[in-house]
Amino acid sequence: MSDAPILAVADYTLDYRTRLGAVRALDAIELTVGRGEVVGLVGESGSGKTSLAWAIMRALPANAIELRGTIRLGAVDLRAQSGTDMTHIRGRRIGMVFQDPAASLNPTLTLGAQFVEALTTHHGLSQAEAWSEGERMFARVGLADPPALMRRYPHEASGGEKQRVIIATAFACRPELILFDEPTTALDVITARQILDLFLELQRETGVASLYISHDLAVVSQIASRVAVIQRGRIVEQGGVSAVFARPAHAYTRQLLAAVPRADRRLVAEMSGHGKQLAAVRDLTVRYGRPSLIADLLGRTKPMVTGNRAISIEIRWGEILGIVGESGSGKSTLARALTGLARFEGSLLFDGKRIGGATDMTGGYRRDVQIVFQHPDSSLNPRQRIRDILGRPFRLYGVPDGRPIAEAIADLLRLVRLPAEFADRFPHQLSGGEKQRVAIARAFASRPRLVICDEVTSSLDVSVQAAVIELLVDLQRKSGAAYIFISHDINLVRQIAHRIAVMYRGELVETIAPEQLSTHGPTHPYTAALMAAVPTIRAATTHAGGTS
Amino acid sequence: MSLAYALRRCGLMVYTLLVVSIIVFGVTQILPADAAVVLLGENATPEQLAALRDRLGLNDPAWQQYARWLGGVLTGDFGISVRTGQPVLPTILDALSRSLLLALLSIGFMLVIAVPLGIAAATRRGQLGDIAFGIVSYVGVSLPEFVTATLIILLLADTFKLLPATGYVPLGEDFVAGLKHLVLPVVTVSLIMVAHVSRMIRSELVDALHSDYVRAARMKGLPETRVVYGHALRNALLPTITIVALDVGYVLGGIIVVEEIFAIPGIGRQIIIAIQSRDLLMIQAGALTLATTYAVMNFLADLAYAVVDKRIQYE
Repeated sequence: MSDAPILAVADYTLDYRTRLGAVRALDAIELTVGRGEVVGLVGESGSGKTSLAWAIMRALPANAIELRGTIRLGAVDLRAQSGTDMTHIRGRRIGMVFQDPAASLNPTLTLGAQFVEALTTHHGLSQAEAWSEGERMFARVGLADPPALMRRYPHEASGGEKQRVIIATAFACRPELILFDEPTTALDVITARQILDLFLELQRETGVASLYISHDLAVVSQIASRVAVIQRGRIVEQGGVSAVFARPAHAYTRQLLAAVPRADRRLVAEMSGHGKQLAAVRDLTVRYGRPSLIADLLGRTKPMVTGNRAISIEIRWGEILGIVGESGSGKSTLARALTGLARFEGSLLFDGKRIGGATDMTGGYRRDVQIVFQHPDSSLNPRQRIRDILGRPFRLYGVPDGRPIAEAIADLLRLVRLPAEFADRFPHQLSGGEKQRVAIARAFASRPRLVICDEVTSSLDVSVQAAVIELLVDLQRKSGAAYIFISHDINLVRQIAHRIAVMYRGELVETIAPEQLSTHGPTHPYTAALMAAVPTIRAATTHAGGTS
Repeated sequence: MSLAYALRRCGLMVYTLLVVSIIVFGVTQILPADAAVVLLGENATPEQLAALRDRLGLNDPAWQQYARWLGGVLTGDFGISVRTGQPVLPTILDALSRSLLLALLSIGFMLVIAVPLGIAAATRRGQLGDIAFGIVSYVGVSLPEFVTATLIILLLADTFKLLPATGYVPLGEDFVAGLKHLVLPVVTVSLIMVAHVSRMIRSELVDALHSDYVRAARMKGLPETRVVYGHALRNALLPTITIVALDVGYVLGGIIVVEEIFAIPGIGRQIIIAIQSRDLLMIQAGALTLATTYAVMNFLADLAYAVVDKRIQYE
């Protein structure tokens, strides 16, 4: 390993001009990435980690003000480069892999065309040469049938395939440095694992230096040799991964580490005995799609997409039933069926009453069964004040003890640990975690017996997630409501669920108690795959990145 | 593009036209115009009228009349104009060809102006040129064509006497004179479309330039021209296809005013004349022709869209 770093950021300070004056985004950043080294940059949203990536790529927004500091790529001072100079550095000397592979590929160009243009631009290859190089690289990143895939459009490839194409493109020009900006966040657990393995393999093979930006400490602990923790634009701690994660020196690092879900740390009290049945579904099947008029006229039946296939499960009083599975496994479909948002076949029993479909879901049922959605941004009406949002269930179902609505709203806000003054605010004046608390408060306003939490913490930062989970557990203990807790994160579910249902491709493959999962392990191979795919913090072992 | 998709779109078009034909026929049934009175004049005796009604089948139930009319339409027989005594179809087609010439020239001219203008404004977003473009195009969108037409005639034909103000000369007769007569109407029709199409291209391109895939293309180190023309513009032009197709319909419908101002014997004028003389068959044929052109243009736009954006046919 040579001494001169590939990337050296020194005393770099950046402000953004806003209507409220200058806001500090990065403060005296010191960061280096050595030859062949993988450095993790960990922080929560708004910490400035992506701003640093844009600063390195010289693609800052127009309102950015660089106050001081240097960014060097080898001997080159990147801040001194002109726009055209940078086109020769981007892609050729610094590659970049983005968070969402679906959004970062042009929908109107074939995958091959988007790969080839990097090589024709930077290495002067002819179209034919670049195309055959593309076939070679596509095969290298584990894509099946490269010639066919290169002619396909992004929408004809899966998320994992798209991210492999982007990685192939980033590696194609043999850059010295690649910036990875949350490259697995938008992917399924199992696909993300495969992409991580591919990254490690290519990194070892090419020895490219990487700056790996992520909010996920577990991922970073597995792939990086050094890590920098960034909080509100400042790097609060950096060092070897083992050292930082095993003996964090800064309080913020400790807080982040503590917030990472760990299967061995249970957050709920075990159920005492076998509870009484609250709801039960038997052979519940949901199909999506509608038959087309023409197919109808021709007497053809169009195959419908099955969201759930013959699900049978019961929920007991006061139980937290966790449901895990990758996206598309039918977790949310089940939630949609139980709340009457999707039509279903099969039977649903709630508190002894038979519910045949949405028409049977009377006011009483809807009052008893509430749902909290993944994105509070889209589940809270942006034109309504919090008071109106929380007042609606009270107006619909009445206020307990006949108190004034304003008082009940204040109580409700207090229940989810928000100040009562928030009633006057609009959703956009709240942070993501606060908005989700409002959504939770709304669900609890009607004193439900079953609350469905559909990926409620997926769009939140890890420390905010920990606080929301703690709130949910507390509310559950106080109210005695049963939860259906849907998540893709099996570690999180293992922390709080009394029973875990594992879904795969629309089917329920296994229902298992968390303690059994810990002691005996999963019985279904898919559960095992899911558990193996979820990264856990690795603190005391050596790392691939630093040794080769 | 799959054949099934094209057939499905085509089926939808035929269905639309069938509904249109019912509406067109229904409306002319409700109109306070008695074909027999129109044919024989106000002075006809009741007996004469009754006899003619009988002969024309006007006493038959409406659906029988409709079936007879539709049968004729499908075999190319739109009937005889009561005003001129000539078959309706050749008259309509003749008028349509003049209107289509005007419409296509206008759209071509419009695209030549609007696309570069939209691109120029989007790539200079927030700069002086973009702001000026915004104001001018806003005025352009707001002005109705009779105002634009009047202003243009006053300026180019009256003050500077560069071009003839009104009239129509077939291109086959005298090409240069024909073109000269077309310039002012084409400019008038184009202007209003230039305004909204270039605004559309500008806003779509601004969105595309801020998209993740354009950012990704920049981060690949592609030169800016390639980013704009190779990546962003492709996506920005997609919605424009639909808008332009709708504009063809707008031009053919809205052209009535322009044809009236510039005295061009197109389909718009033909329909106005037909309405004034209560020439029912001519009105029906004119309306149906306009609707068909409109539907065909939308059909072609759907196909073009599917060719450019491969995702469409899967939806």
